[in-house]
Amino acid sequence: MEMINAEIFTLTYGSMVRQLVADYEDVEEVNKQLDKMGFNIGQRLIDEYLAKSKTQRCSDFRETAEKIAKVGFKMFLNTTASVTNWNADGTECSLILEDNPLTDFVELPEQLSALKYSNLLCGVIRGALEMVNMDVECSFVKDMLRGDDVYEMRLKLLSSSTESYPFKDDD
Amino acid sequence: MGCMTFYIFNRKGRCQYYHEWQRLKPIKQGAGSQDEDFKLMFGLCWSMRALATAVDPKNPSKQQMGAPMRIGDGCSFNSIKTSNFKLHYLESPSGLKFVLTTDPTVGSMVEQLQYIYASLFVELVAKNPLYTPGDAFLFEPFSAALNKYMRTLGLLS
Amino acid sequence: MFQTRGSVGIVDKTFSRQGKQEISLSSFAYLFGELVQYCQSQVSNIGELERKLDEVGYGVGVRLLEVLCYRERSQRRETRLLDMLKFVHSTLWKYMFGRQARDLEQSNTAEDEYMISDSDLFVTKYVSVPREMGHFNPAAFVAGVVRGVLEGAGFPARVTAHYVAVKDQLRPKTVILIKFTGYSAIMQREQRMPGS
Repeated sequence: MEMINAEIFTLTYGSMVRQLVADYEDVEEVNKQLDKMGFNIGQRLIDEYLAKSKTQRCSDFRETAEKIAKVGFKMFLNTTASVTNWNADGTECSLILEDNPLTDFVELPEQLSALKYSNLLCGVIRGALEMVNMDVECSFVKDMLRGDDVYEMRLKLLSSSTESYPFKDDD
Repeated sequence: MGCMTFYIFNRKGRCQYYHEWQRLKPIKQGAGSQDEDFKLMFGLCWSMRALATAVDPKNPSKQQMGAPMRIGDGCSFNSIKTSNFKLHYLESPSGLKFVLTTDPTVGSMVEQLQYIYASLFVELVAKNPLYTPGDAFLFEPFSAALNKYMRTLGLLS
Repeated sequence: MFQTRGSVGIVDKTFSRQGKQEISLSSFAYLFGELVQYCQSQVSNIGELERKLDEVGYGVGVRLLEVLCYRERSQRRETRLLDMLKFVHSTLWKYMFGRQARDLEQSNTAEDEYMISDSDLFVTKYVSVPREMGHFNPAAFVAGVVRGVLEGAGFPARVTAHYVAVKDQLRPKTVILIKFTGYSAIMQREQRMPGS
């Protein structure tokens, strides 16, 4: 894949977040908007992921989570995540990031302490998985910008949907 | 001239892109309208997969025929060859369906459709900021690249 | 807002990377694409859309100048206009696009106008502009970056991006037009500098 300087990406992301903060007064709205933008990105990026990694459908959610952490993060953020804290029935896990290229140069001022700066990533995962028929919930539970020791995203499979014939027979 | 028509469907059955190089029999004499033609083509590919899954002698399936399936479940197919034309088919795990009709003498297009998906669709459509996933699109660079590729393959003079 | 880290942090973390870290161009393309879509949802015409992209680019430029000066120039900033333009044309371009810009020239008609032109900037690479969007050029973002860098260095300017058709070429090139504000004051300042 063609590569560029990661700092351009990081600074552009930062400037975009700054623009959102200026456009919306409410930090919660910014969090939502970041998630929504991520969702849209996920819907586009999934095809590149599938086409370039030549992935067929994953056998279960565990495999999906591993692929996101090892292949997806590598491909698009040039870093990897580890998958831990599975629940008993294998529908919920944590993705742990130690290196988050979105947050270089960043320090959150006090009045923005509720800002989920990297929330875009949650949206990307949600959007990408929606395209392969998996509805998930994804959110940050630990954030180094807020003083935690790692970045931790909690990923929860809500349902796997199916495809039915979209037209009525007598249509 | 080997290629005839080309369709991309999203997973909801909407035709996102259509191009025809040669269509000797006009749509009017066939499906009637463009929309109807899209619907029939999508229906043909859909039914092909559903029917094949139903009669599949190899893999047991607990599902009733016509029941909703997950993308990639059941039987897939690469092409349908008829006396007059051949239909080449690729379904991505995200449910995009690429359909190319050609002369019946044209060989396997599995890799070529994969190329169209990975290199043309991803690069020139998915990355275009003006593209909305799932919606119909008409981007000059994609159309140009598709034509060029067909020429490279010797399917278009 | 989102200040760069204090001096200790910078030495500790950011610069241990030496700017060598890379990321796929795809990721930037998706982010930029979404940025364009978002900006589009906030405005009602192409002019406003370009202004909005310019704003975001400006935020990048101001910070980029700090990073670049620190790294490439051992914290010495260019103080002369022409040197600064060369800095944009070569150093900034190399940093962003991996190579120098194709041309840097002064306008024939106005001495306070300069043009940097190049083609296939990655912000324009994936965009095909439909007719109804007229002259929209996503490189307004790059214009914003240039404006941020110049202003940060003490050379405020109006910077805009334009498509210009090239003979025998399918794709137009992008021209970044820089019009310095207070040009004569800058020139007078330079004449007073030692060594002029």
